[in-house]
Amino acid sequence: MPDASQTAASDEQAAAEAPARRFAETLLEVQNITLRFGGVKALTDISFDIKKGEIRAIIGPNGAGKSSMLNVINGFYTPQEGTISFKGKLRKAMRPHEAAKNGIARTFQNIALFKGMSTLDNIMTGRLLKMKSNLLLQALYWGPNLREETEHRAFCERIIDFLEIQAIRKTPVGKLPYGLQKRVELARALAMEPELLLLDEPMAGMNVEEKEDMCRFILDVNEEFGTTIALIEHDMGVVMDISDRVVVLDYGRKLADGTPDEVRGNQAVIDAYLGVSH
Amino acid sequence: MSAELDTFPKLLLHHAEVRPDAPAMREKDYGIWLTNSWKEAREEIEALACGMHQRGFRRGDRLAIVGDNRPRLYWAMCAVQALGGVPVPLYQDSVAAEMAYVLDHAEVRFALVEDQEQVDKLLEVRERAKTLEQIFYDDERGLRNYTQEFLHHYDALLAEGRDFAKRHPQFFTDEIAKGSGGDVSIMCYTSGTTGNPKGVVLTFDNVLKSARNGAEFEGLTAKEDMLAYLPMAWVGDHIFSYAQSYAAGFCVSCPESGATVMHDLRELGPTYFFAPPRIFENILTTVMIRMEDASAPKRRIFRYFMEVAKRAGIKILNRQPVPLGDRLLYALGELLVYGPLKNTLGLTRVRLAYTAGEAIGPDIFDFYRSLGVNLKQLYGSTEASVFVTIQPDGEIYADTVGKPAPEVEVKIAEDGEVMFRSPGVFQEYYKNPEATAETKTPEGWVHTGDAGFFDDKGHLRIIDRAKDVGRMNDGKIFAPKYIENKLKFFPNIKEAVAFGHERDYATAFLNIDLAALGSWAERHNVAYGSYIELSQHPEVREILREHVESVNRDLAGDSHLGHTQIRRFLILHKELDADDGELTRTRKVRRRVIAEKYGELIEALYSGKAEVFASTEVTFEDGRKGKIEATLTVLDAETYPVAGGAPERAAAE
Amino acid sequence: MNLRTIAIWAVSVPLVIAALGFFHQALAAAGWIAFFTWPFYFEVILNGLLQGVMYSLVALGFVLIFKASGIFNFAQGSLVLFAALTMVGLIEMGLPWPLAFVATAVVMVGVAIAVERVVLRPLVNQPHIILFMATIGIFYFMDGFGQTLWGSDVKVLDIGIPKDPIFILGGVFEGGLLVQSFDVIAALCGALLVAVLAVFFQYTRIGRALRAVADDHQAALSVGIPLKTIWAIVWSVAGIVALVAGIMWGGKLGVQFTLALIALKALPVLILGGFTSIPGAIIGGLIIGAGEQVAENFVGAAIGGAIQDWFAYMLAMVFLLFRPQGLFGEKIIERV
Repeated sequence: MPDASQTAASDEQAAAEAPARRFAETLLEVQNITLRFGGVKALTDISFDIKKGEIRAIIGPNGAGKSSMLNVINGFYTPQEGTISFKGKLRKAMRPHEAAKNGIARTFQNIALFKGMSTLDNIMTGRLLKMKSNLLLQALYWGPNLREETEHRAFCERIIDFLEIQAIRKTPVGKLPYGLQKRVELARALAMEPELLLLDEPMAGMNVEEKEDMCRFILDVNEEFGTTIALIEHDMGVVMDISDRVVVLDYGRKLADGTPDEVRGNQAVIDAYLGVSH
Repeated sequence: MSAELDTFPKLLLHHAEVRPDAPAMREKDYGIWLTNSWKEAREEIEALACGMHQRGFRRGDRLAIVGDNRPRLYWAMCAVQALGGVPVPLYQDSVAAEMAYVLDHAEVRFALVEDQEQVDKLLEVRERAKTLEQIFYDDERGLRNYTQEFLHHYDALLAEGRDFAKRHPQFFTDEIAKGSGGDVSIMCYTSGTTGNPKGVVLTFDNVLKSARNGAEFEGLTAKEDMLAYLPMAWVGDHIFSYAQSYAAGFCVSCPESGATVMHDLRELGPTYFFAPPRIFENILTTVMIRMEDASAPKRRIFRYFMEVAKRAGIKILNRQPVPLGDRLLYALGELLVYGPLKNTLGLTRVRLAYTAGEAIGPDIFDFYRSLGVNLKQLYGSTEASVFVTIQPDGEIYADTVGKPAPEVEVKIAEDGEVMFRSPGVFQEYYKNPEATAETKTPEGWVHTGDAGFFDDKGHLRIIDRAKDVGRMNDGKIFAPKYIENKLKFFPNIKEAVAFGHERDYATAFLNIDLAALGSWAERHNVAYGSYIELSQHPEVREILREHVESVNRDLAGDSHLGHTQIRRFLILHKELDADDGELTRTRKVRRRVIAEKYGELIEALYSGKAEVFASTEVTFEDGRKGKIEATLTVLDAETYPVAGGAPERAAAE
Repeated sequence: MNLRTIAIWAVSVPLVIAALGFFHQALAAAGWIAFFTWPFYFEVILNGLLQGVMYSLVALGFVLIFKASGIFNFAQGSLVLFAALTMVGLIEMGLPWPLAFVATAVVMVGVAIAVERVVLRPLVNQPHIILFMATIGIFYFMDGFGQTLWGSDVKVLDIGIPKDPIFILGGVFEGGLLVQSFDVIAALCGALLVAVLAVFFQYTRIGRALRAVADDHQAALSVGIPLKTIWAIVWSVAGIVALVAGIMWGGKLGVQFTLALIALKALPVLILGGFTSIPGAIIGGLIIGAGEQVAENFVGAAIGGAIQDWFAYMLAMVFLLFRPQGLFGEKIIERV
């Protein structure tokens, strides 16, 4: 496994060869999103876009509204104002089922896995929407269904291989340590072949080694499958290393939006992180 | 075997002819075992050899091979040998700087590596390894954006090779025919404790003769199943999973990944198995932990039948007489306990298991043998193409490494060092004639650096590294590591350091094992506030005293080493730690450091003082330094009269 | 269930039955109970098992909903009653019974969807106790609504299943064992239903989705499982199971208000078999059925009868002490 310095070295290499990756096509755009819970405003007039193929980070101090933003994008929350446009289609709000069907997969800050199922079964649930053959054939477990089942299994095996979790294939995920559960959750999201992958604090609660692994997996997913990734992360160092563009939220408002370097130099961002009173 | 089958590529052609559809290699990939027959292996190796030829690989060139055990990497070995080249396998976990030395020293022009991780390492050292021209890689993940023109995917190489082979169908067989047994077959780099690694040069005759002798001695056939999971750069893996596979024609399987070895072992159920003592120990620990968690009746059944196994199992395996009652109980135990247990461990079909590399605890060794697993110890080295001594069937003793292997001569030098001579003896250390001359005499005897002796049964016993063996004041031999190992076999003792060189009697420092004694304390309601407190607890002292006395009893039964029984010892107030320089990173005791740091304590052991105040500087995990202080009690242990009554013999030998 | 479990059951069940038999034989010999003959004992066991299948049918409805949503659906009994009432009503209106069956099934699906829409959807993410209270509400509503719609008289539900007593296994026992043909047919229907459900939930996409939903709602949503659709499907299936149970129980006891209370019979079955296991519901039902009959016919007669009313509960309580998750219930996984 490459250590941090090597990862960093190859990043620098990549950066040197292709300075600032360019992305033209817009995959998702949120405009003027406002979300209220009762009288409390969780998000106020947020607008930003996510380009196809990029790694987009959403950062901000605790309670800035980052998770709420992800929940709006994948339809867990319905905003009171604003629009979401995904793959060119404009909507008032997403629905979770619709989001999943259209290629938005996600992971959760506190891990939401099917704890009683094995790793493999968990990942297979990511394929549910892709299963086509009809109920009768499924019930008979025969013919086209068997073939389809095999194909889905093969797909999941490729992800298992990719995320290096072969050893826990048959282990009930409830028994796995935290870091591996996070990886299984990522695997399940990948099994959906998402176009947009939402990661809610993928590295929270991990040790340094696990963080490095997760970073590598995120970069590899982006490179290997061309998946667009939007991630929330607390660890500023990680964010600046791996993301193409960063949007900064604070108290439900957008503070800044730009490349990691631009954001780092932004006075409002520095103030927010240093806790200057508003 | 016909005389002309003197290289591995020739054996490949032979097997592809004689048993084309028999499995040659298996690999678990994407959760499924994929099998390749000898015919398929031959086809792929031919394509690979042709591809490498096209890429400029010529007779005498060297190919570095870096990665986990994969069929493709094993095939590359054979492909290179077919072209008259030399494979140089490297440890996949070595850091870039270590690789740079070997690549440069072996003048490697080509490298085949497993994945991005290894490619990155090689790219990092390209400045230093100037001879390196081309790198081939197997797994292209993460490598899509690498544009260097000297990087090639294995599949591309294969495609080129297939194309070439079509146009030159005779090329492969012609090249193979040019090789002969005297050619260099492989270079294995061994990391010495000091200085740079040395490249051990072995010919086909060395490797193949050793492999065949070993296979014949143990009656290995084409039907064996072997799991290849130890580093390819280690000579043992080369012999067990490559040379013997070609010699006997059996199938070698590669696990899915390093983390899945235990699962894969269970699925595969190999018949021939090698593992260092550490792994056997880990498996046993896992079993014991699982049994602790099991329900009470299950635990009782398990304990009962393990007692039966202890009593009868080893004797049954050694074909010694056993009372009928025990035999029946053992059969019942096989049904209820041993069978299912071996099945979970993947040892059901094992006919032959080896362990080597360091001393194995007698309890661990006996555990496996009592289950009916034919576990044996062997003693070997890279310079011998592995085999020096093997325990013959029916003559298995936990404390010896057996008798000389076929065609191997072993002798003990004046100073107690073990030396051997055999067809497997290496040619030279590559580009290092001084080291070669130091190790190998003109008559072909090789210094092992280990001290040992032949016991009354004609079995070799290794006691220590030759340079660590000392003399007591009466001139008798003193082997500290031998005693330390015996002490460390007790789970309650984590580390031990024995003293006795140029002294009148032997003494020792002990480290308690916090995990083992901590759980003992919990079970017996012994309260303790710190490591020091537990280590100096009167009951703990008594437990350790019993352990020491048990070792003494053991030593007393040994006419060669009975005089080294421990008379006085103390339990250290801190754990010996690599961070404090007291141990090496591989947890070997640094005697000189300890002698300096704990000089006062050692003096106390020999001065007759009952107590000694100790104050030691330590480094904490975060790098801070501090002091640990305690008053330690010097403890006396009972010693026993030495059996055999001829302790003088030890000195005479 | 793996092979080992099956083997253990195959060995232990006959052993337990035989042991119980010898136990009662001994009781009879000691004069504690009135009389004991082996043919009669087997007849009692057999009838008990057939009765048990009927319990299983009811328990099954509970298990389905408990699996999908973690709710103990108190209203299941009223669904049984409502289904039976509707079926009888439709037959009385002149529909042939197969048509009435299909129509009732459609009605039950409608009821299921309505329950999901009106009651469950607004209560998503509420604590289970709230949802449980809601099902009590549904119980009383369905109970009253059914009787308002179809009247509260005791009705006869006859779809032509023969009710003659028959003798079976004449070759083994002198004179054969006496069973009701209705019970045999009901048991066969129950077995068929169980087989279909088992396949449906084990091998289909919906079965997988159901298991996922049962495990974690949020995760299920994120992989695109439409929670609400799954709930509607599960309630519909539970409704159809209730219909089959209603036909069988209604045919046996007549369609009347007490039908709704057979839910109380299902509770011990669930405790025994585990709340989340379909095989558990079946085997739990069989054990309760057989145990109850044996107790009633041998011990009950000796101590004055009516043991049947509380025997099942006592068995369940004893069971709770030793295996709180039930025979087949999922063990709670705790990470160490």
